[in-house]
Amino acid sequence: MAQSVERSFTVAGSIDEALAARQQGAAVLAGGTWMMRDPLRGVDLPEAVVTLHRIPALSEVEVDPDHTVIGAAVTHAVLGRALRGLAGFEALVGAAVGAANPGIRRVATVGGNLCTLDFAAADLAPALLVCEAMVEMETFDGPKLIGISDFLRDRPTLLADAILTKVHLRRDLIASAHIRLPLRMAGDYPVAIVSIAVDKDKRFRIAVGSVEAVARRWTALEKALADEPGGFAPNPERAAELAAENNDFHGRDGTEADGWYRRQVLPALVKRGVAALLKTEGQA
Amino acid sequence: MTVTFRLNGEDYRFRDDPMTPLVDILRQEHFLTGTKAVCREGFCGACTVHVDGEAVPSCLKPVGLLHGCEVTTIEGLSSGQEALHPLQAAFEAADAVQCGMCFPGMVMSLSAFMRDNPGACRAEIKSAMVGNICRCTGYERIVDTVVDCLDTHRQTTETAGSMNV
Ligand SMILES: Cc1cc2nc3c(=O)[nH]c(=O)nc-3n(C[C@H](O)[C@H](O)[C@H](O)COP(=O)(O)OP(=O)(O)OC[C@H]3O[C@@H](n4cnc5c(N)ncnc54)[C@H](O)[C@@H]3O)c2cc1C
Ligand code: FES
Ligand code: FES
Repeated sequence: MAQSVERSFTVAGSIDEALAARQQGAAVLAGGTWMMRDPLRGVDLPEAVVTLHRIPALSEVEVDPDHTVIGAAVTHAVLGRALRGLAGFEALVGAAVGAANPGIRRVATVGGNLCTLDFAAADLAPALLVCEAMVEMETFDGPKLIGISDFLRDRPTLLADAILTKVHLRRDLIASAHIRLPLRMAGDYPVAIVSIAVDKDKRFRIAVGSVEAVARRWTALEKALADEPGGFAPNPERAAELAAENNDFHGRDGTEADGWYRRQVLPALVKRGVAALLKTEGQA
Repeated sequence: MTVTFRLNGEDYRFRDDPMTPLVDILRQEHFLTGTKAVCREGFCGACTVHVDGEAVPSCLKPVGLLHGCEVTTIEGLSSGQEALHPLQAAFEAADAVQCGMCFPGMVMSLSAFMRDNPGACRAEIKSAMVGNICRCTGYERIVDTVVDCLDTHRQTTETAGSMNV
């Protein structure tokens, strides 16, 4: 058992309190599912932590007809339940209910999933990229709203003096799908993840996670789909062909899989994603 | 730091490092060794306990997050002196247990699942077990037992319901 350690543990009751602790050097402790494994990786737990779970506004999902707000301390399980059945959010629900395992999903938070800098396989990242989510942060200089792509790219710098507080979503998607490829049926990190969505203007949005170090939109494929004569009529086979032709990913090597493999499976995942979209639209 | 919570129905006050994983307190301070620390990474489920009724891995739960919570371990489900939880009794009757290492975690995960999903099908039961690894690989027998247990529960409630009419 841990020896008596003088550790500062602040249970923040408000965002201001959390920020004050952060300014004193405390690290954010959300569900702890990532941080608590630090000692196994040879990393000491932080000497000072601040928790967010007692800040009511950060533990809520607000669903309005055209705007949804997700608190950073909302767990995957709560997120999945809150958005289930809402057209357009299928990818986000798929990410929330498909990541990790049920016990972890009851504890791991949205904020933790997006703020874990050294984790490439975060399921929520590509799902939020196709939603074109906006990330709200509370920084030492006041609140800040930033697009999810910029947040994911710049988060090592951004999070040095900020807390992620909320994620904002518009309701402008008709349908979406989240396709993940674990090596076993369940329990391990996905080798590659493709989130795919179609918006009200029939434009496709595609994002890829776990292949490179940071999830990103697949803009080359989005453009190729948009450039199809007469616009892209959803066809899984054709989507896979275009994915193979426009595969501009540099796969990262990792313990679960080599980089070339992560890259190579992408067209098959796109094919599955378009098939899933067709099924969802068919049901609508 | 002092953290106060309920452990198997009794008040408990912890005064030490709030980042101590719950599993260590259970095993080393309370000798509640039914909760196993196997992977300590959230992958195996052998350390599963109920926190406010939800099945979660205790290896990744810093005790500081438990202030005011209700924690139940496998020992709290039934002490062995009184009737077993129906799922424990069903596992025993079906001789589903092999080495038993995974079973406290299985029971904690599946008892909460059965409470919340009395109408669950086989596929849903399997999805609920994704975070509980059985190294003896006795999965099908475990799933069979949960299916039977839910059927029995349904029949009992239906009979009770029809008697009430
Ligand atoms: C067994 C296992 C399997 C997993 N499989 C998957 C999977 O398949 N897919 C997947 O996506 N994930 C998976 N994960 C990762 C899991 O999703 C992350 O551990 C989790 O999302 C982290 O969330 P947390 O709330 O527990 O964060 P914590 O562990 O509390 O924190 C993680 C990091 O984020 C920072 N942080 C947390 N919240 C904030 C905030 N609001 N503002 C600023 N910084 C913050 C913390 O300071 C810390 O650095 C798995 C984890 C485990 C243990
Ligand atoms: S010991 Fe906690 S999940 Fe394995
Ligand atoms: S019965 Fe031996 S690990 Fe499951």
